[in-house]
Amino acid sequence: MADFDAIVVGSGMSGGMSAKELTERGLKVLVLERGPEIIPERDYVDNLAPWESPNLDNVAQDEIAERYPKQYGGVAYAIKESNKNFWVRDDEHPYEEAEGTSYDWLRGYHTGGRSIMWSRQVYRLSNLDFNANKTDGYGIDWPIRYEELEPWYEKVETFIGIAGSAEGLPQLPDSVFQPAFELTDAEKALKAKVETTFPERNVIAARVAHLTDATEEQQSLGRSNCQVRNRCHFGCSFKAYFSSLNATLPAAERTGNLTMVHNAIVSSIEYDAETNRVTGVRIVDAETNEKRLYTSKVIFLNASTIASAMILLQSKSVAFPTGLVNRSDQVGRNLMDHVSGAGAAGLISGFDNQKVFGRRPSGGIYIPRYANLNGQDKPYLRGFGFQGGSSPLGNAGGRIAGIGRGFKEAHKNPGPWRVNIGAFGEQLPNPENRVTLHSSKRDRWGNPLALFHVTYSDNEHTMLEEASKDAVAMLEAAGCTDITANDVSLTKPGNRIHEMGSARMGHDPANSVLNSWCQAHDVPNLFITDGSFMTSAACQNPSLTYMAFSARAAHYAADLIADGTL
Amino acid sequence: MTTRREVLQGLIVSIGGATALTACGGVANVLSTRPGSAARFYTSEEYALVTRISDLIIPRTETPGAVDANVPGYMDGLMTDWANNKTKNAHRTALRQIKVELDQRAGGNFLDASDSAAEQSLVSFDAAAFAEDGDTSGYKRVKGYVSQSYFATEDGATEELKWVAFPGRWDPSVEI
Repeated sequence: MADFDAIVVGSGMSGGMSAKELTERGLKVLVLERGPEIIPERDYVDNLAPWESPNLDNVAQDEIAERYPKQYGGVAYAIKESNKNFWVRDDEHPYEEAEGTSYDWLRGYHTGGRSIMWSRQVYRLSNLDFNANKTDGYGIDWPIRYEELEPWYEKVETFIGIAGSAEGLPQLPDSVFQPAFELTDAEKALKAKVETTFPERNVIAARVAHLTDATEEQQSLGRSNCQVRNRCHFGCSFKAYFSSLNATLPAAERTGNLTMVHNAIVSSIEYDAETNRVTGVRIVDAETNEKRLYTSKVIFLNASTIASAMILLQSKSVAFPTGLVNRSDQVGRNLMDHVSGAGAAGLISGFDNQKVFGRRPSGGIYIPRYANLNGQDKPYLRGFGFQGGSSPLGNAGGRIAGIGRGFKEAHKNPGPWRVNIGAFGEQLPNPENRVTLHSSKRDRWGNPLALFHVTYSDNEHTMLEEASKDAVAMLEAAGCTDITANDVSLTKPGNRIHEMGSARMGHDPANSVLNSWCQAHDVPNLFITDGSFMTSAACQNPSLTYMAFSARAAHYAADLIADGTL
Repeated sequence: MTTRREVLQGLIVSIGGATALTACGGVANVLSTRPGSAARFYTSEEYALVTRISDLIIPRTETPGAVDANVPGYMDGLMTDWANNKTKNAHRTALRQIKVELDQRAGGNFLDASDSAAEQSLVSFDAAAFAEDGDTSGYKRVKGYVSQSYFATEDGATEELKWVAFPGRWDPSVEI
């Protein structure tokens, strides 16, 4: 008799959704979280005023060098003294990079995982994306198309809450929207000029997982509308932005079917060759080093693209000598992220008599992919979107000349309006880009360290060079001045924190790990619904897609349990 | 509102320089001669310089100034608790160079200069620093510390900038 109907490994973006859907189907679910518990009322620091955080809320420079060199190097904008505990300490959680390569593995271990630190932009994939691999031959074909996923997008979006505007773009299907954060007048001017000059391009409001018209269901979970503070990286006491901690885990909790265990680091998954089923999860307690085994009828791996692959690779048996469900040798391969490092900024005139009220979270505008929409018409494959916005530059930080009353009061003036846009490009799947287990180095709990080997192809370099030119051209079209576009310098792999592809889905068990239900080809009661399943990366922020697939897989698994298959 | 001198006196007491209170006849003079500074990072002369230029960069107007808001104390904390040795050394070097420049412009010890002479010296130096390639001393960074620290204090944020903790709504187009 199994301890639980289902074990969900990981409590972040996808694990929370898996847990919610499984528990709402009446299944008894154990969620294992490797980090400590975060209790919003105790641990969120969003209500600290600036003067309540010493040293400009900066982490001490020596502490950054000692404890957070990777994390801070990757996301300095998000790591502050008051919220540094949301990020792992690199000295406690090291990893290795193959010679000549580098990788940003940026993460937090606690309830909700990275869903409490994410940047909250959410976009659907379209058939442009689901057809991409088949069309150009990179990677393998997705075993699913948009139409099958659409109702799950709707279900998830209705629950999480997305502020955005319906645009009717085929390459970026509309979501279920709450009111968008309105564009600034400068952004509207940019939109008009860009869309006139480049008819195939669109400038739309960023689609963000913030409540702007909370539904009854959302309010019943203690969530309320965004207060427009832009304090999201510190948690949100209003639970206005979506995180599993703010929404899916409480929804799962109220079913009465959820058990949650913290500080449980999964070391391996148990497999029974006789029944060809996974039977349980072996963990080591992060605080006591106690080892335990939990058993269940089905297992959902939602530990994150990298951690899930590592758990599979650590789970060796006679039947799976190179790692669980790794007969295809694809576990850990095809590791993808999005790639940035090209964009432009400039000043836009005509708005000097304006300022804004409120601190809009999560950016302002999005320029959806416009490259290669109808056949191959660019010198690179696939495409990119731009994220950006326009806001007053402000004068803080002593950037302006003068002293005395004039200098002091200048800080109240918004200053010139600045536009900036930055590309998020698609990285092609490549089996040589992979995470493996380090052959000798282990962490303090005895698990092998991750070893990354990820490089970019010529396509990503060419794409970003072109994106840079496009960005400048759009700002020129908008009449911007003082346009700056730094030399294209690709972000490190991993830096966009959109890890994908380490256990891809496909039609053929010989070259893929999962089927279209995120179910392992080789073991029917194992599901993986974090970014691991992504067969290609598209160029859209992927969390929404993880959640849609998680909900779909959870219901499929529940059906299989109900009919006795599992 | 307390007077600037009262604030300065309070500052001096708080840093253990009570014996200097008798010398409160002139702000600059008091600070430049303050013995036994209890600043954790700054020497007494550095602290006096930071206090003087903070006061000139962001003076008291209808709202509190940098000294009212204890910007020098804030910066002392920043250097003690946040900065690494490289930053600390760079900051000390910058202050040394700034002092040399301001002494030259004041025709003597800047910290002993009258209010108007001190102000004129810093106006001149600030303008030179903001000329192209003119900031050879690191002054802009020090000025950045002053303004960032000021606007991070409750006085600077709420009194001067009218910072609102909970805007509650987004208005993308507010006429000034």
